Amino acid sequence: MIDAKPERPKTALRPGDLARVATRAFHIQALLSPERMQGLGFGFSLLPVIRRIYPDPASRGLALKRHLRYFATHPVLSGFALGVAARLEERRANGAATSDDAIDSLKRALASPLAALGDPLFWVTLRPLAGLLGVLSVAILPRPPAGDPDLRVLLCPLVAILTYNAVALPYRLSGVSRGYELADRPDVLLRSLRLSELKTFLERAGSFAYGALLVLFATGLDVPSAAWGHGAGGRVLEVVPLLLGAAIGFFGMRRWPGRSVEVGLTAILAGAILAAGR
Amino acid sequence: MIPELLRVAMLGGILAVDRTAGWNLMLSQPLVGACLAGALVHPGPEWELWALRVPIAVGAALQLLLTNPSLPAAQRPHDTAAAGVIGSSVALLGLARLHPVLPVSAAGLLWVVVGVAAGLLAAVAGGWFARLSKGSVAAAAARADAFAERGEIGSFERFYWGGLLRVFVSGALWAWGGTLLLLGFALWFLPQLALTFTARRAGVVFATILGAALAVAFHAHVRGRAHGFRWAALGAIVTILVLRAFHVGDRP
Repeated sequence: MIDAKPERPKTALRPGDLARVATRAFHIQALLSPERMQGLGFGFSLLPVIRRIYPDPASRGLALKRHLRYFATHPVLSGFALGVAARLEERRANGAATSDDAIDSLKRALASPLAALGDPLFWVTLRPLAGLLGVLSVAILPRPPAGDPDLRVLLCPLVAILTYNAVALPYRLSGVSRGYELADRPDVLLRSLRLSELKTFLERAGSFAYGALLVLFATGLDVPSAAWGHGAGGRVLEVVPLLLGAAIGFFGMRRWPGRSVEVGLTAILAGAILAAGR
Repeated sequence: MIPELLRVAMLGGILAVDRTAGWNLMLSQPLVGACLAGALVHPGPEWELWALRVPIAVGAALQLLLTNPSLPAAQRPHDTAAAGVIGSSVALLGLARLHPVLPVSAAGLLWVVVGVAAGLLAAVAGGWFARLSKGSVAAAAARADAFAERGEIGSFERFYWGGLLRVFVSGALWAWGGTLLLLGFALWFLPQLALTFTARRAGVVFATILGAALAVAFHAHVRGRAHGFRWAALGAIVTILVLRAFHVGDRP
């Protein structure tokens, strides 16, 4: 009689090992260098897997060395590549013919599209949106009555943190196990993430929130009395300096994109010169 | 002041780990850093009102100004994490110490302006500081390879944790040193101009900063995005309708 059960690998990874890899991946950039990028962090994150499947120090060292090579992807999505590498290492430890170069080339092949999809989504779209919603909540949340502590100091950053992590954390927490499951089907893995659809949605949400911020700002601006805000705490805000600042910001960023610090300092200087004449 | 600076240093270290080591939990954004610094560097109950409002305004302005829509590799190396912490801390520690010459009641917005200026300067200087401290990371790859060749993965692990600790310590040192440096400058410089500061003038400078911040945010959130104008207009219209429906802003 033939046993229908598949043979259990000699050395199998446990769910706890993958969970430990996922938590270590939060530190993947601690030794980021131009030469290896996240390579050292990749090796560090994979250590629970290496410890589990290789019994002796020499083979552990060799496995670690394989994963210290150049590796660069988006940190939030690094778990997917780690999961794939964990699966390949497990097979290799169980006798499968998987070469060093095969592991490395699959890692790199996955890292590039993950970076290409992750960077525009998380850095360019989600993080600015989360920050904008934090600022927007300053305008939306009611100012406390005089004498009460202003809890917006905690609530506004909380809105920003929750917005960002509501999207990013599920990818981080599930990445390693998803990568481990779909190690043989990287195309399915990439398609299942639906990152470009999410990016389109978040881009629109960012523009929408900016429109809302402008209206909330404008409704708080009382032009006839030149005062901003409804009474307490409001201070003089005139339209001329506001427009001057807007012009500096708009044309400055158009001429020198990425130089917002210099634009901000120029606005302060221009405001000080304008104020000196009043 | 030592307990406040210690708290600033701890916060700076944590935010540096978030920004540099890969946590990326949004803690290192200027709004979050400024507000957390405001909650930690509380000059005392007599400053309750300003101690909580100044960090919000500093954080909101810096968040709009320092939001960079380009990829990190294409960005100038500004330390946005320290910007919020240092800006907010300088404003709060300064307002408590300079109250006799610059009363908060007369020019509360002045401290928002001071905080934003300190934050912007800290962002630039923090970028230089981070570049200096990165030099030691370059040799890390060779040491890591050596550990792996000898099969000493425990040593490699300790070496890596050490790298994480270094990120924390350099962030803490910069937050501490930057706050002290800019606070010292503010305490020396601002009293010399005390007679020229008025609420009206502070308001003019604040308005200019707000205008610039909104314009910079326009570039980050609308310009260059597919259908950006359309969605921004929709956001504005929906907000107007909601405000009208709830009669927000009606005055007696």
